[in-house]
Amino acid sequence: MGWPGHRLAITLFATVIVAWVAVMAVLMRKASLPAEASGPMLVVFEPGTPTDDIFAKLTFAGAKPVRQTAFAFIWVVAGDEAGLAGRLSSQGAIGAYRELPLNPSIAGCFALADAKITAYTGL
Amino acid sequence: MTITAKQVPWYYTPTLVIVAGCLVAMVNFGVRSSFGLFTAPISEAHVWPREIFSFGLALQNLLWGIATPLAGALADRYGSARVLMVGALFYAVGTVVMAMAQAPLMFHFGAGILIGIGVAMSSFGIVMAALGRIVPPEKRSWAFGIATASGSLGQFIFAPLGGALISAYGWEKALFILAASTLLILIFALPLMVQNSKSTKATSGEADITMRQAIGGAFGHSSYLMLVSGFFVCGFQLAFITVHLPPYLAEHGISKEFAGLAMGAIGLFNVVGSYTSGIIGGKYNKKIPLSLIYILRSVFIVAFILLPITTTTTFIFTATMGFLWLSTVPLTMGLVTVMFGTRYMATLYGFVFLSHQVGSFFGVWLGGRLYDQFGSYDPVWWMGAALGIFAALVHLPIKELRAPKFVAA
Repeated sequence: MGWPGHRLAITLFATVIVAWVAVMAVLMRKASLPAEASGPMLVVFEPGTPTDDIFAKLTFAGAKPVRQTAFAFIWVVAGDEAGLAGRLSSQGAIGAYRELPLNPSIAGCFALADAKITAYTGL
Repeated sequence: MTITAKQVPWYYTPTLVIVAGCLVAMVNFGVRSSFGLFTAPISEAHVWPREIFSFGLALQNLLWGIATPLAGALADRYGSARVLMVGALFYAVGTVVMAMAQAPLMFHFGAGILIGIGVAMSSFGIVMAALGRIVPPEKRSWAFGIATASGSLGQFIFAPLGGALISAYGWEKALFILAASTLLILIFALPLMVQNSKSTKATSGEADITMRQAIGGAFGHSSYLMLVSGFFVCGFQLAFITVHLPPYLAEHGISKEFAGLAMGAIGLFNVVGSYTSGIIGGKYNKKIPLSLIYILRSVFIVAFILLPITTTTTFIFTATMGFLWLSTVPLTMGLVTVMFGTRYMATLYGFVFLSHQVGSFFGVWLGGRLYDQFGSYDPVWWMGAALGIFAALVHLPIKELRAPKFVAA
């Protein structure tokens, strides 16, 4: 009886990652702020969007850019006028979040619920 | 003991059995890796100090370590699939209790005791024991590698998934969804039933001894004791880095976004490293690569703390440590199998893993304790590097042969 090898490993891991990306895409959309939201938020644009374009879009939406994150297409912005999230969305933002629900924390064989880990590694 | 051409049901085909084992490992390792994200929401919702949550997860890790040899013994006696299934139920109920608990005692019962037992009973150690019995000896190390890599991948994908679930549905519903995810183990474990009915017999070349005799024989075997002491170091190093690297990076001016990416690199490279070590273990002696892993960890730890901490050195360090992260597991499990055979491998690996968890405790605790005393993480970094050298040396005299008491007369 033939035993599987590297091809199985690659297929399995690739399938899981594709499924994960699909689920994450749905969840990220679900996790975004409602259109009427305002205040400080993270805005995500299409990866690869030029910084100048993003800056212009933020300005048109009435958002005050606070800072760019480690990812050039994700910005921290602020704005007190209601409907900021909706305006950003109409300017082409993929989503706006209070905090980015991506947290690449690691647990190894020993997960310790130390708040400073998640607080620090959280984007 | 391995699957032969005569054993035909489609759900017992080698590919499906291995995929099933990998999926169990992914869910088991993945779900628990997201629990840290619930610290703030649960503590804030109940107006609890963070200590209550921390104690719950500390208890979970302790129970995981203590229950692993017991879970292994049950798996060796009744078969891995049944134990995985019971573990999934503990895991799911514990996660639901964690979500519904209104008092610290109930929270500790769910998040600490029930989940700790559930994680132990459905862990990749139990999966590897099943695969070790099912696959032929020449594929065994590869099977350990793919199972460990699957656990690593689960950890990599579930942490962001947990964060996204919290943002999308709130922490309570997120926990219910994660609880439901753990029940997938019930389905994934089904193909591993192929191993259940045969688990209590000695394979050819193995001595027909009782579990008590096996445990006694293992602890009387110096190579096993060396393996147990070496795995303590693995736990110490990984737990220290997991918990104390982020604040260490902060002290050295690394931005939190980059620190997040660097920690993510550990998870990603871990998948590659675990799989690679499984392949290496199948081709060469296991103790040499194992020693090499500990030496490399020490070298990279020393280089990291001596060189200026920059984004480049941080990324190189986390990627390298990621590659070396769980790569010890397939080799360690492989050595247990070489020395003692497959009949009691889950139990005997369980004791090795218990040592790992004790090391983890000391890595985390001493990291904080010595930082408070010296105002620096450097003493513990140096301790981790020195222990790495110790582990490398202690693995070298291991006799990569069947232990005398385990050889059939």
